[in-house]
Amino acid sequence: MAERPFRLEGKVAIVTGAGSSGEGVGNGKAASILFAREGAKVLLVDFQEDRARETLQLIQEEGGVASTLQGDMTKIEDCQRMADTAMERYGRVDILDNNVGISQRGTVVEVSEEDWDKVMTVNLKTIMLASKVTIPHMIASGGGGAIINIASIAGLRAHSSTPYSASKAGVIGLTFSMAADHAADNIRVNVIAPGLVYTPMVAPRMNDDLRQYRTDAAPLKTEGTAWDVGYAALFLASEEARWITGICLPVDAGLTSVHPGTFTPMNQQSRY
Amino acid sequence: MRLTGKVAIISGGSRGMGAFEAELFVKEGAKVVVGDVREDEGRALAEKIGDDAVFVRLDVTSEEDWEAAVKEAVDRYGKLDILVNNAGVSARGTIEETTVEDWDRVMDINAKGVFLGTKAAIPEMRKAGGGSIINISSQLGLVGMSESSPQYQASKGAVRIFTKSAAVQYAAEGIRVNSVHPGPIVTPMTEARRSDAAVQQVMVSRIPLGRYGESEDVAYGVLYLASDESSFVTGSELVIDGGWTAQ
Repeated sequence: MAERPFRLEGKVAIVTGAGSSGEGVGNGKAASILFAREGAKVLLVDFQEDRARETLQLIQEEGGVASTLQGDMTKIEDCQRMADTAMERYGRVDILDNNVGISQRGTVVEVSEEDWDKVMTVNLKTIMLASKVTIPHMIASGGGGAIINIASIAGLRAHSSTPYSASKAGVIGLTFSMAADHAADNIRVNVIAPGLVYTPMVAPRMNDDLRQYRTDAAPLKTEGTAWDVGYAALFLASEEARWITGICLPVDAGLTSVHPGTFTPMNQQSRY
Repeated sequence: MRLTGKVAIISGGSRGMGAFEAELFVKEGAKVVVGDVREDEGRALAEKIGDDAVFVRLDVTSEEDWEAAVKEAVDRYGKLDILVNNAGVSARGTIEETTVEDWDRVMDINAKGVFLGTKAAIPEMRKAGGGSIINISSQLGLVGMSESSPQYQASKGAVRIFTKSAAVQYAAEGIRVNSVHPGPIVTPMTEARRSDAAVQQVMVSRIPLGRYGESEDVAYGVLYLASDESSFVTGSELVIDGGWTAQ
């Protein structure tokens, strides 16, 4: 049988938040590795470049092509430098995978204005900025493009993390609008809503009990990983999804398919 | 390959999206039972694919036919991992124009057929230690469209929520159930509508990506949901509509 063609052959991808905030594999790292494994050249962008270098090493060990770039996605000049660097190094841009994100718990009464602004900036504004400067390069590259935004089921439901939820709901709304705005240029924009996946971002506030509790919360009763999110990103990034734009894909083991009452006991747990 | 060692049943597999899925699944390493009421086309397809596909006559409204299809999968290929409930019929008209017979026919094929297929498949998926069921709903299971029909839209809406019910009921056994919501696709089912240039122009004008979908646009989404790459995805709605419902 003929060897299977790579799913991202000839593509150039930018992954923001390509490093992981701790040991293990986060969404950006998983997507980067999968993109490279499927033939894409990947620009690995992270605020902390040493984290992106860990991802780079894993990609290079598999024989993939990638390089790192330090960048603060809350700054438009860094975003511009990112998009320009992808063009300079690889000659085109086809895929932008927006992973940058932070947690922010609390109610509106509890959250400080400063923390609110921070989570909205890091989780939502960064996507606007990165997309704003990358889309013209995608158009110039001549093959359309695919933007994948990482939201959360917290953007669809109450989640004991009101500022975080608001930012992620913003990401979902931004995705729909961007999809409509840029479809004429064949730039597809989709959003993934991960459920309770175990990643370096949530690891610091987890213990074994809590991990089990989260695992049991969703119907499948399996623990999600960044790879689950990464494979969804790979699908949406590839030409296999060439007629898919403006969708929100939950990757959540069925959590948002259950009636909300199932979710309430968790939601009431402040530790969650 | 993404479906190595898997055994699938695809209803309505003789032509259109189902036929494309059958060929794609086999390319990815699966064995496929092609079920359809269109026997000549189905047999020809299975023959073209070779040993990795077999045709069975499958009227999705018949419990006996479903049992026979599942039995064929198990007898021939040893088990059942994947079911694509793809068979469906289209309809047009207003509520006042629609007869009870019109309603029942579409609901039987599009909604009851999915129920019967799922019911027949689950025991074998349980034996296999899990499985993936993909139900083909429609973008018209999500939003209203005046040119469609009450029974088509109701049937596709039924598939949407039946999917979530099944996902929740069988998740603990590792059986995932997701729905796919295609927009207008170039298939034999949409031929009548597409043959009217004015209608086609209106339809295309509603699609941000500016064209009808092709069978393969849907098939790759079905492949993703069928494969282990989506092992954390159940109860989800995968919309493949060129951006129609995002607007």
